[in-house]
Amino acid sequence: MELEVDGAACMGHGRCYAYAPELFDADDDGHAVLLMADVLTTYEGNARVAAESCPEQAINLYD
Amino acid sequence: MSEMTAAPITDRIAPSDHELAKSMAEESVGGGFADQLAVAEPQSVYAAMGSTPLLSIEGLCIVGAAKSVDTLTRSHYVRGSGAVGNTGNAERPLIPLDLDRPDHSKYRKLLDPIFAAKVIAPLEHDVRTLADDLIDGFIDRGSANVYDEFCAILPSTIFLRLMGIPVSELEYFLCFKNDLLRQVDGETVEQHVAREKAAGVRCYAYFNKVLDEREQSGSPGDDLLGRFVTAEVDGHTLTRENILDICFLLMIAGLDTVAASLSCIIAWFAGHPEERRRVVADPEMWPDAIEELMRWETPVPVAIRTPTIDTQVGDEVVTAGTSVMVLWAAANLDPEKFKDPMTVDLTRRPNPHYSFASGFHRCLGSHLARMELRAALDQFHKRIPEYEITPGAELKFEAVPVRLASPLPLSWTV
Repeated sequence: MELEVDGAACMGHGRCYAYAPELFDADDDGHAVLLMADVLTTYEGNARVAAESCPEQAINLYD
Repeated sequence: MSEMTAAPITDRIAPSDHELAKSMAEESVGGGFADQLAVAEPQSVYAAMGSTPLLSIEGLCIVGAAKSVDTLTRSHYVRGSGAVGNTGNAERPLIPLDLDRPDHSKYRKLLDPIFAAKVIAPLEHDVRTLADDLIDGFIDRGSANVYDEFCAILPSTIFLRLMGIPVSELEYFLCFKNDLLRQVDGETVEQHVAREKAAGVRCYAYFNKVLDEREQSGSPGDDLLGRFVTAEVDGHTLTRENILDICFLLMIAGLDTVAASLSCIIAWFAGHPEERRRVVADPEMWPDAIEELMRWETPVPVAIRTPTIDTQVGDEVVTAGTSVMVLWAAANLDPEKFKDPMTVDLTRRPNPHYSFASGFHRCLGSHLARMELRAALDQFHKRIPEYEITPGAELKFEAVPVRLASPLPLSWTV
């Protein structure tokens, strides 16, 4: 599974780094920073929750 | 306004029934939008209004379906509240709420780091201590108007501390907030506007005085006001007017919305003791429970967006310059976005709700709000896990501009 953040679409809701802190961090503005683009199998559940929790649909997920 | 005991208005229809939904939406707009929604459970009305991509009623353009809301709020060619005037009838646009790109982006670049989740997190301990202090003031009585004694005071006190204003000024600020945001029964539109304008003038005057004092003392201070005095946007320090316009926005947002959210959530738990006991028994449920009740209650239910180019919404085109009422409260109940949206599921995850808005006007204070809600609700329920609406007492809801339950008369066994 691969993750991708659309930086232009991210508005800093912070749902991704709340639900999947091992996959996402925040920059100084509170916008998403991707920590792990190739998602380890153990984190796939959290990756899905993070992507589906984004109010801007700014996270793309490729199985 | 309406009582807690009033029957839900719209159990009579299924939200998926478009024709009925449309006629009901027309009925609620025509019959007084706010009054119809100022009830314990306005969700069926909102769901009905969101069941079509776009509603045009009496010249009013309303969008409540999640897909339509996304189309409008994610567009680069849409303006926020400023397109229809300054919020609160202020003399100048509130910063950043009433601004649009590119100016909006400059100020968010300054303000977003100040309200980032990581910056806010260390304040949680203070909020819990404050919550405990407030609860100490009424717990032994076995009853309280929890809106006045807890919900309203907690976020306002935190706001004053952040701004570096003495907490002795709390009463002044609560009066100001009420003048600006509360509806007064029987007041004409002109009287309401005059009251708002006067409150705005007082706000500018108050912060002007504080900023004068800071300048004279030669020390800007290490609080938010101090940061604004020394901050730079585009290589320039902020003008006095810029700072006042930010203060006005923070006042409105900081004093009222968390108070309202707390009141809605506690009112909901008062009416759902089984659900309350689940969360009390497992406090780790709080974050998801809060997200779900923010979705369900949508304390800030509506915003205005104005596309600057012709924009396709559903089968229709919203022409450039048309102001559209965006119903977050309806989008939050859209079955295309949320599984079984009319059921409150306190473990719902994911929960991409619209209660902090979406698009570039995402609530600046959302991280502060979430932390305050979590800390305040957890402390409240640790101290007072069992409570009910005081028998015979009246619980009232307001619908706009912010949904809240005030008074919120609760009782518990001492």
